[in-house]
Amino acid sequence: MFVARRLVLAHFWVAFIGFAAAILLGEWQMYVRSPLHAWVDNPVHYYRSVTTHGTVMAYVLPTLVAMGFGYAITELALKRPLIGLRWAWAGFWLVLAGTLVAGGTMASGRATVLYTFYPPMIAHALYYIGVVLVVVGSWIWVALMSINLRAWKKDNPGAAVPLAMFGNVAGAYLWAWTSVGAAVEILVLIMPVALGFKDTIDAGLARVFFSWTLHAIVYFWLMPTYIAFYTLVPRAIGGRLYSDTMGRVAFVLFLVFSMPIGIHHLFADPQVGAGFKFVHALMTAMVSVPTLLTVFTIVASVEIAARLRGGKGTFGWVKALPWDNPWMLAVTLSFVMLGFGGAGGIINMSYQLNESVHNTQWVTGHFHLIFGGAIVSMYFMIAYELWPQLTGCAPLSARAIRLQVWLWFIGMMVLSMPWHYVGLLGQPRRMAYYDYSAPALQAQAWTVTMSAAGGAILVVSAAIFIWILATARRRGTEAALPFTFSVAAHPSARVAAPLNGFALWVGMMIALTVVNYGFPIAQLASLKETSVPAIRMGVR
Amino acid sequence: MSGARWSIVALVAITVVAALVGFVWLPSAHGDFTAKGVWDMICRAAGVPGKWGDGSAPAKVVRSTSVVLDAAMQKAGSEQSIGRGATLALNCTMCHGAKGVSRADTPNLAGQYPEVIVKQLIDYRSSDRESSVMKALAASLSDADIRDLAAYYASLPKPRNVPVTDMSAVPALVRVGAPMRNIAPCASCHGGIERKPGAPWMESMPKEYLVTELNAFARGTRRNDALAQMRNMARSLTPQEIDEVATFYARASDAGEK
Repeated sequence: MFVARRLVLAHFWVAFIGFAAAILLGEWQMYVRSPLHAWVDNPVHYYRSVTTHGTVMAYVLPTLVAMGFGYAITELALKRPLIGLRWAWAGFWLVLAGTLVAGGTMASGRATVLYTFYPPMIAHALYYIGVVLVVVGSWIWVALMSINLRAWKKDNPGAAVPLAMFGNVAGAYLWAWTSVGAAVEILVLIMPVALGFKDTIDAGLARVFFSWTLHAIVYFWLMPTYIAFYTLVPRAIGGRLYSDTMGRVAFVLFLVFSMPIGIHHLFADPQVGAGFKFVHALMTAMVSVPTLLTVFTIVASVEIAARLRGGKGTFGWVKALPWDNPWMLAVTLSFVMLGFGGAGGIINMSYQLNESVHNTQWVTGHFHLIFGGAIVSMYFMIAYELWPQLTGCAPLSARAIRLQVWLWFIGMMVLSMPWHYVGLLGQPRRMAYYDYSAPALQAQAWTVTMSAAGGAILVVSAAIFIWILATARRRGTEAALPFTFSVAAHPSARVAAPLNGFALWVGMMIALTVVNYGFPIAQLASLKETSVPAIRMGVR
Repeated sequence: MSGARWSIVALVAITVVAALVGFVWLPSAHGDFTAKGVWDMICRAAGVPGKWGDGSAPAKVVRSTSVVLDAAMQKAGSEQSIGRGATLALNCTMCHGAKGVSRADTPNLAGQYPEVIVKQLIDYRSSDRESSVMKALAASLSDADIRDLAAYYASLPKPRNVPVTDMSAVPALVRVGAPMRNIAPCASCHGGIERKPGAPWMESMPKEYLVTELNAFARGTRRNDALAQMRNMARSLTPQEIDEVATFYARASDAGEK
């Protein structure tokens, strides 16, 4: 790397310190509402914790990992120094300031609105200002990714953009467009109320704007993971990437289809027409296409590695895989979680099936398994992979990494499977306590204890993760080897022009958003007398 | 660029098929969507029925209150307003005490939130809350008088309970409610956990008053809670529970004339 070492390291450390704090809150939440503990005396303490856990895990952690990884990719894949280092630091300080401002507001109990901050609940204005600062800081990153790619293309006319950078910029553009929804919601609808200029808020319209952001944001979280699948896994296990083109197709399909689908979060909302709900459901199903393409391509790449190591037979090659390699383990476990989580996701997005799981603990199980499991476990691997580049440390202990990854997998399964199960039985999510003395609930009490135990395993795993990173330098220093990304099985000099740029796909993303969101937003915005009284949280 | 063109054609095709299924095929399976023709069906699927409702007024309008609480009502009054209110409040001292606290089992008014007093006085005036005494007294009050009275009482020091040091001494209904019966904790609106506009300050309220009002809510004889929130809570309470929470809020105070 050239100039971005400290920058990337700063992003990662803030992300992971926030993560370590937020995971403790998560485990506390599971413990106090399990039968192991009496009901929490003040339920608002529980919601304060949920809000902080969600805000840090959903906004701060993935944004900083995507930004830091993006800066690293820019230098490592384009093989030149990052342009705009000062701006990048400015973006970092904005994100950090936003995190501290929002964090202080949450800690003081003035923002118990959960990370989805659905109106008519209204938090203290500083909470939203903090969130906006995080987003604005990340917009600087978006601009820098675009500028760096453009400069590289200018100096390398006609050359294929490295796949890692292609995915990285796809993620940046996706984020830029998806964050517009929540930004409009906060600046136009929420802030006037939070600042006291208004007493009422159009909650239905606000929810539609938030859905614009809420679903696509998960694909922004997922981009670093998919970049790792395509450009790090095959190389790390000694294989080849089965298809570079498939990677590009998957990235652009995410760009097009992740945006105009968020209304599947509003299936139970009366303000959106059933026709739009169905269209969004169908488009959500389209997202399974790039996911399945990826699963196929990565399994094929893994098979190449096995055959290069002498694996034979239709399935016999599985035995020849380098199972002691942390990457092999991590990608396998990540795929298992992606499989369960993805299958659950198809149930969530189905207009009719959603009815039986809507707002139950199933949903919490789903996004913990997909995001906390499949995606975050690859964040760990990205950090492990970059650490020698960033700190100049000797290679990290493979044993410690394997232990950490296994514990994360086991913990996440033990945490989220009971949630799925009781969700089907109808257990509501977002409850500060359950009345286990009620006969109908007594039989489900063990599931909450089990989830609390899963959470405890996750805390141990997170502690090992931080320990590995923090003590890396003690293992000695070594000059980092030149960093490489996966090589395609059939490296082709030429990449189809549409798959070497973003104009077409960004155009399609915006057009599809206009088609799928334009009418519902225009209609709701034009309806009269749709506002409801705001409910200010944190007034005692 | 044929690849690009194909991508666009495919996307348009997917969108058109999705729209046809969502706006034409699926609604066509529902009698209430198809009753008024294809165009009406598409509009309904888009969330825009040609006509909202059938145009007739609801058979019976049940009104619980005419007061809409807004932020302006919750602000402290000016000194002039408090002064005028103090003069007007001379009418109230017989029952509510010289400083808004009395032993007559009437509600304490000292330190009460201004929007609470405004709402209750307007409700008495318009008979949304029943009381032969208060209706007669409120009838002659103008909106400005009501604002002044509220400003005056809000400016007086609140009577307070003895501070709680042992949380287990607080009744569960106050702290955590009864979730299986859909009863929210008292403290989530009346202060302690959170405070919601229109919910009165209750520390040191006379027990007799609290029991009477909770029973009135439970029986439905008092119905000026705008969204029936208190009626829904009180209906599920047993007499013992009503006694328990009333005793808790009424316990020894260190202020006023008691």
